[in-house]
Amino acid sequence: MALIDLKNIHKHFNMGEENIHALNNINLSINEGEFTSIVGTSGSGKSTLMNIIGLLDLPSEGQYFLDGVNTTLMTDDDLSKYRNQKIGFVFQSFNLLPKASALKNVEMPMQYASTYNKDISDGMIRKMALETLDKVGLSSRVHHLPNELSGGQRQRVAIARALVNNPKIILADEPTGALDSKTSEEILTLFKELNAQGTTVIIVTHDSGIANRCRRVLSMSDGLMKDSVQVKI
Amino acid sequence: MIFRKILVNSAEAIVENKLRSALTMLGMIIGVMAVILLVSVGTGAKRYITSEFESMGTNVIMVQPGKTDKKNSMGPPVSSSKGKLTLADVEALLKKSQTLSAVSGVMFGAGVVKTENATNNINIFGANDQFNQIFNMTISEGDFFTKEDEDSGRRVAVIGHNIKESLFGSGTALGKLIKVNESEHRVVGIIKATGDKLGFNVDDIVFIPTKSSLRLFNTDRLFGVRASAKSRSGMDDAVAELTAILKERHNGEEDFTIVTQVTMMESMNTILNMLTYALAAIAFISMLVGGIGIMNIMLVSVTERTREIGIRRAVGARRSDILKQFMIEAVVISVSGGLLGIAISMLITYTLHFFLPGFDMRPPFWILPPAFLMSFFTGIVFGVWPARKAAHIQTIDALRYE
Ligand SMILES: Nc1ncnc2c1ncn2[C@@H]1O[C@H](COP(=O)(O)OP(=O)(O)O)[C@@H](O)[C@H]1O
Ligand SMILES: [Mg+2]
Repeated sequence: MALIDLKNIHKHFNMGEENIHALNNINLSINEGEFTSIVGTSGSGKSTLMNIIGLLDLPSEGQYFLDGVNTTLMTDDDLSKYRNQKIGFVFQSFNLLPKASALKNVEMPMQYASTYNKDISDGMIRKMALETLDKVGLSSRVHHLPNELSGGQRQRVAIARALVNNPKIILADEPTGALDSKTSEEILTLFKELNAQGTTVIIVTHDSGIANRCRRVLSMSDGLMKDSVQVKI
Repeated sequence: MIFRKILVNSAEAIVENKLRSALTMLGMIIGVMAVILLVSVGTGAKRYITSEFESMGTNVIMVQPGKTDKKNSMGPPVSSSKGKLTLADVEALLKKSQTLSAVSGVMFGAGVVKTENATNNINIFGANDQFNQIFNMTISEGDFFTKEDEDSGRRVAVIGHNIKESLFGSGTALGKLIKVNESEHRVVGIIKATGDKLGFNVDDIVFIPTKSSLRLFNTDRLFGVRASAKSRSGMDDAVAELTAILKERHNGEEDFTIVTQVTMMESMNTILNMLTYALAAIAFISMLVGGIGIMNIMLVSVTERTREIGIRRAVGARRSDILKQFMIEAVVISVSGGLLGIAISMLITYTLHFFLPGFDMRPPFWILPPAFLMSFFTGIVFGVWPARKAAHIQTIDALRYE
């Protein structure tokens, strides 16, 4: 069974008189362990799709099964729990808490995890956060505030935060959009490594260089999606 | 999230936003200070007035001619034309009473006192030899009147400290003649500097024997009668006996009003309690203003931190986690403000008391727990709305918020 299963998903935005059909009948299945990229022009609906997959937003119509469970029927608390445990989200603008250190930022998802699972102790949280920061190559920056870090380092903190609860899925919406090409390359390598360890990765990108290196590319255009599987990577 | 963790988080958030937190706390600091200081003023005034009463002599019974309505018996009643107390009443009390230790008729009026060198506007107070005993006055030079002075209506005077100073300076006054409303009196005693004693400045009074004073004012109608019970516990008996004796003399009619320390204290307390309530109401309002201040700044804080809320929700915070976070923040701020307010008002009142020992506005300790609880509940009451608002922001909208 597919890890992510979207069936006839529509998303409308009402902007006063205007109705934007941001997603138009999306059907999509992604299996565990895939590395998928989403491309498309600005405004084509990529972020809208990612937000729905990441349970940050709800579809206007259609069904979304995550790990076999129909998320459209979930309560708000269940959605929070799924976001906490199954999904790691990486944003273009990092979205770190500006006044919290790298370590505190990475600990945060685990703090919330500990409310679902009482076995998670403060010591474990600290240990996991440090390990994860080490994994993304930031063990020497744990006590820095976001504004004391470079763009690439900030995105690594954000990736560590997405990873710390061991999610099945990493969703990255233009994660390299604010980074130079060398740093982008490093971040992409990091995602590749994570994928190699079994994490399902979906990445929205403008960078055709990145898209070309994914086996599966989803092209968005005006709310419609075209699915293509490349044979050659 | 576990309560302790949120507490730590909110403490961190408060430290991270020092200025905003300080401003928010200010409202609560002022609110709690208002509560404590106003209550302190109320109880301080009460304490002061109570001690004034007690210094007057504890077993004092005052009898005024005329019957006043019990309901508006605040303070000494004003004498009415109906009912009349005379020296004969005083004599009857002195003769028949078993429960009274001293009885004096009193006269009271404004007057002028003169020597060859000086003139002074003063209060003339007619009293007999027992008066001194009733009101605990200390004589610094000479003596108070004797029974003979009273009985024969001698023109002698016992004068207050200020009068002595202004008429005689540092010279001797004892034995000198002064003119009280043009009638010559010989100074036989000087009262030790006392200051205000229940509305009168004793230092500005010239005491003369009751009989002389009646003659001076050309009347047989006493201003009132003052007596003291033998003991404090015998107060009720003394009042009953006094009433009985006077009633018998007044053809069974109770055409006089008895005011004791107890009744005076009661009516004084009524006034003082009203004052304290009024102050408490003002304090409550300032607490309310402090609470609204907290609510305002928490609302601003929620808007400012919309993105943070989005981030927290995105990584797994439930609505209830966000609600708790903002509630606890509001309570931590208001309670810290409350504690600071308590500390500052203690500091102010104790410092004042240290430098001005007569000025005792130190807060009573019973006010501290309510002041603390009030800041706590203000935090809860005024934190709910902002916290609910924070909890109900849509995750995606919060993340897109610029
Ligand atoms: N919250 C929203 N309210 C109104 N319109 C929105 C909202 N989010 C996205 N849209 C619109 O939906 C369309 C798709 O947006 P988006 O998914 O952000 O595109 P992309 O990420 O591909 O640039 C755009 O026309 C955008 O203006
Ligand atoms: Mg986008």
